[in-house]
Amino acid sequence: MAAIFNLNHPAHTVHWHFFTMSVSNLIVIILMLVVFALAIAIPFPRHGGAEGGTSS
Amino acid sequence: MSAVKGSNWTVKVREKAVGALPPDKLLPDGVPTYVSSWIYVFGVLSIAALVVIIGSGTILALKGPGWWHFTGIGRFFNSIHMWSVEIFFFVMVVHLWGKFWMAAWRGGRTRIWVTGAITFLVAVPCALTGYVSQQNFDAQWISTQAKDAMNAVGLGSFFNLTNFGQMYSWHIYLLPMAVVALVGVHVLLVRKHGVVPPFELPTDKSTAPATTGQATAREAAEIPPAEIKTSSTEGAQS
Amino acid sequence: MSRESRKLARKRENDYARDWKGPYRSYDLIKEATIAIGVVIGIVLVLTILFSSPDDKPSTVQQWSRATPVDFVTTAVSELDGSSGIATYGPPYNHNSDGQHISFIRPQKWFGVDHPIDTAQDYVITPLRQINGEPLTQAAVSVYEAAPAKLQTAWTDAYTKALANATPAAGGSALAIKPGNYGPVPVMMNALLRYAQGGGLDGALVNNKQFYQTDYTKPLLFMADGGVLSDRAQAQHLLGEQWGMMNETGSFPGQTWLWLYTFWYQIKPFTTSWADNADIAVMAVMGVLSLAFILVPVLPGIRDIPRKIPLYKLIWRDWYGSSPEPPKAGA
Repeated sequence: MAAIFNLNHPAHTVHWHFFTMSVSNLIVIILMLVVFALAIAIPFPRHGGAEGGTSS
Repeated sequence: MSAVKGSNWTVKVREKAVGALPPDKLLPDGVPTYVSSWIYVFGVLSIAALVVIIGSGTILALKGPGWWHFTGIGRFFNSIHMWSVEIFFFVMVVHLWGKFWMAAWRGGRTRIWVTGAITFLVAVPCALTGYVSQQNFDAQWISTQAKDAMNAVGLGSFFNLTNFGQMYSWHIYLLPMAVVALVGVHVLLVRKHGVVPPFELPTDKSTAPATTGQATAREAAEIPPAEIKTSSTEGAQS
Repeated sequence: MSRESRKLARKRENDYARDWKGPYRSYDLIKEATIAIGVVIGIVLVLTILFSSPDDKPSTVQQWSRATPVDFVTTAVSELDGSSGIATYGPPYNHNSDGQHISFIRPQKWFGVDHPIDTAQDYVITPLRQINGEPLTQAAVSVYEAAPAKLQTAWTDAYTKALANATPAAGGSALAIKPGNYGPVPVMMNALLRYAQGGGLDGALVNNKQFYQTDYTKPLLFMADGGVLSDRAQAQHLLGEQWGMMNETGSFPGQTWLWLYTFWYQIKPFTTSWADNADIAVMAVMGVLSLAFILVPVLPGIRDIPRKIPLYKLIWRDWYGSSPEPPKAGA
């Protein structure tokens, strides 16, 4: 079952001083920060029967 | 029967459990109105990711550890398992960030934070045992490298990363059981204590957190619950 | 604020947060969990269809000995003469080193040898003794075993030096080296090379006390002493100095949550004065930080950050905006 995008080649890496990270890992980390910011910033629907609220 | 009720362990356990978590607290149909941010969904997303991990892992376990190398359907479920692990750590860390900035340990909820932190710290070796159980080059490399950390602290005698049989057992049973148990306790504690309320905003300087124990202006106002604004037409309450 | 007043403030804050007596809204927990599971399954399915997952085939001793016979034999000689990484590792494999320590704390030594590996016997002598129908090989092993230790060392030292200029011969199933006084070592090594290239050594190295095996420690450590795994790892950016702990083969995301763990291995003094004990040092640092992580609620300063940097005002802006006079919460 072949993938649409073949990721089976050595990763591209980002270098900054002594810091080295694969592009895929960098994308994951940046995405986490963006998702966290959006989760706080995006308005939450405010009607009585709304799903989406949670007790955690 | 009532004469020995006091010494009945079953009754004692039942009464304690039901006392701590009555049905409408265990499965509430209401949530405080301050729970109104998308950051709150990351806890349940973490549980959802864990469900998908365990589901896909169960299918991988059905056919044994070598299956997924040789069949397309096996590789499909291996991919589900791998990506659900990535999603699990992603949403769990966002959940952790949210809970930190809410100081969600307030109001007697220290154990909720503690169980959550320990869950994360147990999930990391659970993932590691999975990585070294893959029976491919990645497993060979990770096991021969990570063994140095285990050996350096004396754990290598008990936890041999290069012993596939041992690592597979830890990965598919022991550590997932630990994670599930910790998540269970974590969630039950949330049910028991409720979602942490917002920080109390000082209304003015005179109502700043008490230094002398004097009543604040808000306390003096004594607003009765019936006059509190709700956003629910049903006004459901747990 | 004095210590006493800070304590009072914290008590008041905790009392306020303990039990909510304010307004609720309707909420469907089971429906929410079901939707969450659906969302995760959807995301995971998309990622699976787009990218699949990595599965680089494992290296074998057979492949190693065929692809780089000089590296294989160089490693085998180092196992024979006790100079290899595993031969000098110490516990849990042998007593040839005390292992890592922090000051007087030596857990690697204290927990002892639990998985004994005698590299000369396990990687060279015993496998050669298993070969049938090669009387010259058996004779060579007997000569080696009967020789005094000093002579054995002289042979293996000379042979190791000569290996620097060795070339594959006989179709790659033997090594050609310049003439020298190597004793029976070349015969032994060429026999081991043939055994490995035939595939027999892979099976022989797996723990051979019983029929069913699941422990790959011996062949893995043998390969790790050579270059076969590290060469592949370097190409895939998996080496320690490449922050490889976080990485996955190919271009897939890896274990990003290990970022802080691998960070310490990149900086001084873990790379310099502590290099010989880097693993125990990093584990100690991460142990302390993990404990601090668990104990955030009781750590002065750390537990006050959310109050002092009020991101919570953004999180709860709906609540603060709609309820300027929240009820007094508390039991």
